[in-house]
Amino acid sequence: MYHFWLRIALLLYGLASLAVLPAVLYDRSEWRRIAVPAAAGGALFQFVALAEMLHAAHRWLPSAAHEVQCSIALLLAAVLFIHYARLRSLSPGVLLLPFIFLLTLLPAVGPDHRLFPTPTVRSGWVVVHIILLLTAYGALIVSMCASMLSLWQEHRLKKKALSGRLPPLATLDRVSYRALLIGFPCMTAGLLVGSVLAQESFGAGYFLDPKVLLSFALWGLYVALLFLRRTTGLRGRRAVYLSAFVVMVVLTVWMANQFSAVHRFAAP
Amino acid sequence: MTGTANIVLFGVNHKTAPVELRERLAIPSSRLAEATLSLVGRPGVREGMILSTCNRVEMLTCQEAPEPDLLHFVHEYFSIDAATLRPHVYEYREREAVRHLFRVAASLDSMVVGEPQILGQVKESYSVARDVGAVQGNLDSLLQRAFSVAKRVRRETQIGSSSVSIASVAVELAGRIFGSLEGTRVLLVGAGKMSEVAARHLIAHGAHSIMVANRTRERAAALAADFDGETVDFDSLYDVADRADIVITSTGSEHPIFRREHGQTFLHRRRNRPMFFIDIAVPRDVDPEMNRLEGIFVYNIDDLQSVATSHHADRAREAEQAEGIISREVERFDARRGAIDVAPAMQRLQQRYEQAREAELRRMASRLKDMTPQQREAVDTLTRGLVNKLMHPPMQAINAAAREGDAETIERIGKMFDGTTGEDERR
Repeated sequence: MYHFWLRIALLLYGLASLAVLPAVLYDRSEWRRIAVPAAAGGALFQFVALAEMLHAAHRWLPSAAHEVQCSIALLLAAVLFIHYARLRSLSPGVLLLPFIFLLTLLPAVGPDHRLFPTPTVRSGWVVVHIILLLTAYGALIVSMCASMLSLWQEHRLKKKALSGRLPPLATLDRVSYRALLIGFPCMTAGLLVGSVLAQESFGAGYFLDPKVLLSFALWGLYVALLFLRRTTGLRGRRAVYLSAFVVMVVLTVWMANQFSAVHRFAAP
Repeated sequence: MTGTANIVLFGVNHKTAPVELRERLAIPSSRLAEATLSLVGRPGVREGMILSTCNRVEMLTCQEAPEPDLLHFVHEYFSIDAATLRPHVYEYREREAVRHLFRVAASLDSMVVGEPQILGQVKESYSVARDVGAVQGNLDSLLQRAFSVAKRVRRETQIGSSSVSIASVAVELAGRIFGSLEGTRVLLVGAGKMSEVAARHLIAHGAHSIMVANRTRERAAALAADFDGETVDFDSLYDVADRADIVITSTGSEHPIFRREHGQTFLHRRRNRPMFFIDIAVPRDVDPEMNRLEGIFVYNIDDLQSVATSHHADRAREAEQAEGIISREVERFDARRGAIDVAPAMQRLQQRYEQAREAELRRMASRLKDMTPQQREAVDTLTRGLVNKLMHPPMQAINAAAREGDAETIERIGKMFDGTTGEDERR
């Protein structure tokens, strides 16, 4: 039965992981009202599932791998709620909730616990996963191009070379930042869907896949990029350097397909 | 006015000298009178006026022998090496000096052609020079004519209405940085006329609010009230400047008010949101090093020219028409000046003939004593007519010489009729 509670918790954490993005990045309070209850509900169902697991195993301390994973996920959720209660800030949730989701995913889904009822449904989710990640990569490239144009415009304005028809500096900066804001939820959702698909097909071993590891590293960089832009107003030359670095990582992730055991969907 | 006084205009402007040099030559209005007196105190300078604006420092003089060395005067007065100055100065004489003055007053030589402030600045310089007695007959009539020409140009062409003022250039540049001006905040540092006009333009294009900082708080308060804005204490300028997206500075400070370290602080407080500094002060209020900071854009008065020139094509037609007016006015002034130059010679000629006529009438008085009043009047009319006919050829010769600028011939004709009257000759 605990699988059922864990899957409900997984669903709620997934919802919270996505809802926290507009709540934090766009300051949209209506998404906050979804993210907080969803995360709280996820933690509640996870607690019930953990209690059932331990009760079934006739022990009070977690020792099996999936019990430890659930416990760590619950502890992280508790940290998040304490932080929220004290500072009314959900910012750490951008990083923590997807991580909690992944920790919950491992015991909730696996080769022995099929999540997708038919191969067609599963293939549909693969397409969604690919589209979401391609959108995220595209947004990163758009952001980098806008940052480069912004840098060029800044250079021209400083040199007083005012001919030509480049868009205003503020417009280019806005395009660059908004592209990131659009791309990040896509990448987060794409990785969550991909993780569920891979966990179901390959189990926990998929975390050791170079492509998957690089994808999570890329997600971490994306978070860092957004954090810097948001908190320090990162722009100009430094924004271009960081964006270019992230795009390089994207290309590396793309090339990592050659070494990936997980990303061979076309293979029979 | 005599033929020996030469009109000479000497100076530098935004086309010939960089702002670094112009700011060293700038004369604050408080010292303009003293500088003008120093100028006319030079041997050979009969009259003089100094025009010192952010775009030009020019000396308009009426000279006589010995010819003064104005470059040396500038070198001495401003303690600037003559070799440094020489490549940047220009000197116009006579007709070309008149043309240049007319063009300046009509705003055809301005950085932003058609801007209205320059005429007021010329009038102010004239007023200072007149008050200290440095402007008299020669320059007075020239400057009065320059004011009339400037008004005529403005009245008969669209140069003023199609002008791209500093203000509209500032709006355009702000647009290239901020896109829309909606919601931007403007800080005026110094409550000068030009910055006020710029602020009005920015407000008209969507700027959200205005803050005014001025050393004279009352002036700042009055200006802020005009814009429904906020007065900022000059001492707390650095604490509030980062709230502004656009800073327009136009103070009379001799040292930069905003330096690189201020810019770094502003950027830190603004989380790197860009700032646009429009520095229309000479000497400059913003250290040029500020422009090296990422996110800060500094445009001084010279930089604004590069934008202003991009609008020249739009104004070319009006400027051409205005140049036509200037040329005709220079001709007229020249002709009038020539006419005034020959007046003494004409007067001497008339006096000489009149004296001769009166002397002859006195000599014949005993013979004419029995004539009736009507007969006396007829004789008087007859002699006057005769004198006028005799005077006509030399007068024509004087006019012809004046048209050709032949002062020597005029002088010679005048001397022919100098000397004693008929009675003196007989004695």
